[in-house]
Amino acid sequence: MRFAVDTGGTFTDLVVEDDSGEVRMYKAATTPTDPIKGVLDTLDAAAADYGLARPDLLAKGDMLIHGTTHAINAIVTGNTARTAFLTTQGHPDILVLREGGRIEPFNFTVPYPQPYIPRSLTHEIPERIKYDGTVREALDEKAVIEIIAALKETKVEAVAVCLLWSIVNADHERRVGELLDQHLPGVPYTLSHALNPSLREYRRASSAAIDASLKPLMGEYMGGLDSRLRDAGFAGRVLVVTTQGGAMDAADMAQSPIHSINSGPAMAPLAGRTYAEADSGADTAIIADTGGTTFDVSLVRGGRIPWTRETWIGQPYRGHMTGFPAVDVKSIGAGGGSIAWVDEGGLLHVGPKSAGAVPGPVCYGAGGTEPTVTDASVVLGWIDPDFFLGGTMSLDREAAAKAIQSHVGDKLGFGLHEAAAAILSVATENMVHAIEDITVNQGIDPRGAVLIGGGGAAGLNVTAIARRLGCERAIIPDIAAALSAAGALMSDLRAEYSGTLYTQTASFDRERVNELLARLEGQCREFIAGPGAGSIEQIIEFTAEARYPSQIWEIEVPLRGNRIASDEEVAGLRDDFHATHEEIFAIADHKSEVEIVGWRANVRCRLRDGVQWNVQEAASEVEVPDSREAYFSDIGLAEARVLRFEDMERGAEVAGPAIIESSFTTVVVDPGASATRSKSGSLIINPVSGG
Amino acid sequence: MANDVPANGDKLDGVQLAILNKRIQSICAKMANTLLRTGRSGVLNSARDFSCVLVTAENQLLNVSESLPIHVLRGADMMCEAMQEFHPDLKRGDAFLHNSPYHGGSHPADHTYLAPVIDDDGIHRFTMVAKAHQADCGNSIPTTYHGGARDVYHEGALIFPAVRIQSDYQDNLDVVRMCEMRIRVPEQWWGDYLAALGSARIGEREMLALGAEVGWDTLNRFAEQWFDYSEQLMITSINRMPGGKKVIHTRHDPFPGAEEGIEVKVEVEVRPEEGVIEVDLRDNPDCLPCGLNLSQACTESSVLLGIFNAIPEDVPTNAGSLRRVKMHLRENCVVGIPVHPTSCSVATTNVADCVGNSVQRAIAELGDGYGMASAGAIIPPSIGVISGSSERTDGAYVNQIFLGWGGGAASPQADAWISIGHIGNAGGSYQDSVELDEMRFPLHVAGRHFITDSGGAGRTRGGEGVYCEFGPTQGDMEVGYVSDGNHSAPEGARGGGVGACANQFRRDPNGDLHQLDACAQAVIPEGHTIVSYSCGGGGYGAPHERSAEQVAHDVREKWVSVDVAKETYGVAVSAAGVIDEAATGKLRDAQGG
Repeated sequence: MRFAVDTGGTFTDLVVEDDSGEVRMYKAATTPTDPIKGVLDTLDAAAADYGLARPDLLAKGDMLIHGTTHAINAIVTGNTARTAFLTTQGHPDILVLREGGRIEPFNFTVPYPQPYIPRSLTHEIPERIKYDGTVREALDEKAVIEIIAALKETKVEAVAVCLLWSIVNADHERRVGELLDQHLPGVPYTLSHALNPSLREYRRASSAAIDASLKPLMGEYMGGLDSRLRDAGFAGRVLVVTTQGGAMDAADMAQSPIHSINSGPAMAPLAGRTYAEADSGADTAIIADTGGTTFDVSLVRGGRIPWTRETWIGQPYRGHMTGFPAVDVKSIGAGGGSIAWVDEGGLLHVGPKSAGAVPGPVCYGAGGTEPTVTDASVVLGWIDPDFFLGGTMSLDREAAAKAIQSHVGDKLGFGLHEAAAAILSVATENMVHAIEDITVNQGIDPRGAVLIGGGGAAGLNVTAIARRLGCERAIIPDIAAALSAAGALMSDLRAEYSGTLYTQTASFDRERVNELLARLEGQCREFIAGPGAGSIEQIIEFTAEARYPSQIWEIEVPLRGNRIASDEEVAGLRDDFHATHEEIFAIADHKSEVEIVGWRANVRCRLRDGVQWNVQEAASEVEVPDSREAYFSDIGLAEARVLRFEDMERGAEVAGPAIIESSFTTVVVDPGASATRSKSGSLIINPVSGG
Repeated sequence: MANDVPANGDKLDGVQLAILNKRIQSICAKMANTLLRTGRSGVLNSARDFSCVLVTAENQLLNVSESLPIHVLRGADMMCEAMQEFHPDLKRGDAFLHNSPYHGGSHPADHTYLAPVIDDDGIHRFTMVAKAHQADCGNSIPTTYHGGARDVYHEGALIFPAVRIQSDYQDNLDVVRMCEMRIRVPEQWWGDYLAALGSARIGEREMLALGAEVGWDTLNRFAEQWFDYSEQLMITSINRMPGGKKVIHTRHDPFPGAEEGIEVKVEVEVRPEEGVIEVDLRDNPDCLPCGLNLSQACTESSVLLGIFNAIPEDVPTNAGSLRRVKMHLRENCVVGIPVHPTSCSVATTNVADCVGNSVQRAIAELGDGYGMASAGAIIPPSIGVISGSSERTDGAYVNQIFLGWGGGAASPQADAWISIGHIGNAGGSYQDSVELDEMRFPLHVAGRHFITDSGGAGRTRGGEGVYCEFGPTQGDMEVGYVSDGNHSAPEGARGGGVGACANQFRRDPNGDLHQLDACAQAVIPEGHTIVSYSCGGGGYGAPHERSAEQVAHDVREKWVSVDVAKETYGVAVSAAGVIDEAATGKLRDAQGG
């Protein structure tokens, strides 16, 4: 049995897959102050459903894969460790100067970003290594020991070390690490060459700074997760989802917590890819994951999940660069919990503020006073107040109506239904905007893609979003409510190793390149023999980071093999570079030689065979009527058919207006649209009948 | 989308306007991405010194990629006009190379490629413009900023007034060979040619597809409505501004050919009720026998960027919003319309910065909450053009490096964006990685960091200058730079303090410093280094209006020294940032704060 738990801002989702391929999902409220409690609560719900005591259920588990927002939350709220930055003398402002760059040239209302580690906690180390790895100035150990004494004085909780050219000669960085061990024991540190051995000191320093600042917190979190699961009876392996869309052991994640920064949202496209292919044969998809707090958009293009090389926490140039590639995900503050408000000019806004898990929407009756998208959906008759979360929670429609009327309707001069419908329209527009942003960046035309809806709130406006984008199909998988957790179950163990070695095709340094490739392959093999032991399939892929002479931005070119053994193979690499350059930029300089700066090896260990799931819904005791009154902007109040998702036959079709409900989600089929249950169990929505 | 397009003659609604605008923006963004990622010259791939622009068939600026303001506000339209005048027979597949400052170009180093978008019926609909600053443009010395050039002949650049460089999508190799015979490191130029022309062609392809999809008439209607919409936003913004007239002077330092320095006088009048801003630059010196004269494109762009910086709202910059700015220029004026053979080699930075800074400072003086202080002057050696010859580079190298510049101007709403570069760049430039430069060139960077107390004091603080020291590791290195601000400090606004001045030295192997000229082609022998101090930027508002907590933070973070905190800000604070409330109260009372 395998478990996947995804902790979101509002809900914690659990997907359980038993050995026969039967899958069940559960949700519990997230406890922001103790996210592990939410994990255990979902396991409680599962145990009850399986009719087992929790320890007995957990004892059956081989593996638990966890997606968490703990790290990113700590960064956003400023709750990371007090971290010091040690760098080469003469270059103290690496984190301040960054790499320059700015957006919105005429907007001077935004202040310059504060460095990730303040200047007051930055120390310069007397030493200098040259570009070729030779030592220009020896490491002054006495000075390092004095700096460490100062760190002790200022009570730093973590240390990031980034020295110039540590990527070609790591001796100085390593020695600083040893001195930290010796003179500042117990304080975690990150050495830049070990974490992210890539060219360009800002990126590497930023990686190290972010990583170190997360170590105390994530070490404790991972330790707590592991021990509380063990105490609860789990004896299997605990994995954590990475920003790159893979998984790694929790203990390893504690050692390099930067990889958990975008842990949750990186999983949704894995599941999205599977369903797009199964339900429509499409290899291009937009995955829109709507939770309570955020709306995350990711993509599948030509069957691959696109990455971004430059990942920012926050806005480009205003936030902090992680220095690592990541699955390209665009997140905005929009979800079921997004709060609707009217500004002084009379303009309606929805989000980015969210009612979150606490107090939640007004209709939860837990103290929320500001109307949310969920409240609007209840008022419109889209969400059944008596059948929320399978009837386990009853919603207060009256309170929701009052809040919408007073906060939105009265201010706009709208009636209750008009106001509620306007809230949904604005939320839809915000989401469409986010989708357009990422599809334009990745060069995808939304009209040729299928839209996959995930997350508990996806079904409310998936038809409306598909219409706005001109998508021909929208798909709500039966596992949609826990799409990220489902994706986690489909993930591979992954690791990436890289090295910097400059050479060019005209005078290719075959010996040293192959030495480096052999070292990278060795690291991959070690990974396969270690964490990857017992996996079904292992794949190692090499790429070169290359450019034309005097360009400064590299592009990635896959190597044809594991080594570059002959002049022909060098020529092959050169040709592949021209072709890749032409594919990305529509031009190539065939006369030119090529420079290679960096080399990477990616290792993937597949943990499971293809997914053939049979999703079981927990049965509900609540009787649901066949139809109910609901409001739609274009036709007003109408009698909408109501169906249970799990009761809908495969191949059955229903015309809108209709509402298809399960315990965890509500899918609204607008008037003029239709929905069909596919063979795989997904709901396929045709936004325009006959279209 | 195709379904949403209205019938002929109908107006597009707000949603349709927004969507078409987004589509066009994304076309220019795609062009820009190609140029950035594939350009060879440092000034392209690091400083993002390029722009991608869409101009209508009537030569109206419709959309610009997010790029250097000095590049994009005016000029593309004038260059398209020259193209149409010289080549009334435009055909699909044509492309033109343009860098003539006498025909709408900014300065000769900005090679611009114009690709007319011709529909299936042979009608010229739009022009895609990709402008890219080159590392070398064939000047008589290895720099694209020839401050001492007496005229265009002494300057030496090849001038192309909208010369057809492609017909039927094929290169005109005559022109290519001319460039290869005159431009240093021709492979680098060829790479930039491919990058910039490729960018224009990508834009052309996308516009042809968009025209086919939504119809050319719809795009024309879009353009008209978008201009009107932008003009309306501009009017609304100006309506809110404080009215009045203000004259501001900004001095450029003495340079060869301008031994007295250049005093730029800018008269700005804001007429809120009319929604008009009027700027008069006629009362300024005649063109000078040096490379600092502005081209007309740069004169107008520098005025406009000062205005857009001064307005807090986000107004689209296109022909529509520009209608609300009236400019008065005269021929043969250093900040006006140059007459051939006047040299405009350094037209995009130094004197242009004086104009832009004056405009935004004039608006600041009209009312609190508007305008900005002056940003730092440039071009210091840390941003110089380096050249030499070494084994490492397989022979000759010429390239502009971007090792560090700061000097942002304080605004009424926020402390400066420190790393602004200069006002015409607006911070878009990247700052080179030390590792990347040491890998590419035979140089060693001994140090670089911001300079404490170099930002202008104020309610909001000016940006700090950058200290940078570097030198060659193989053979001599020439460093070409034109560093204004050695004498005239960047001014604050509304009582804000000045930014620190620039300076530069050569350090010999014994560690002794030797003063270098502000405008020079300095030779740095192996074993020596060049030491560069870039300007700080001006502050906004009186320093004693800055909260004591903010000043304490500034001190703790070493932006402001304990002494300056006390003397200029009136805040008694320890180096650790602990405020002495009583002493601070006394100091501030004495300052009248």
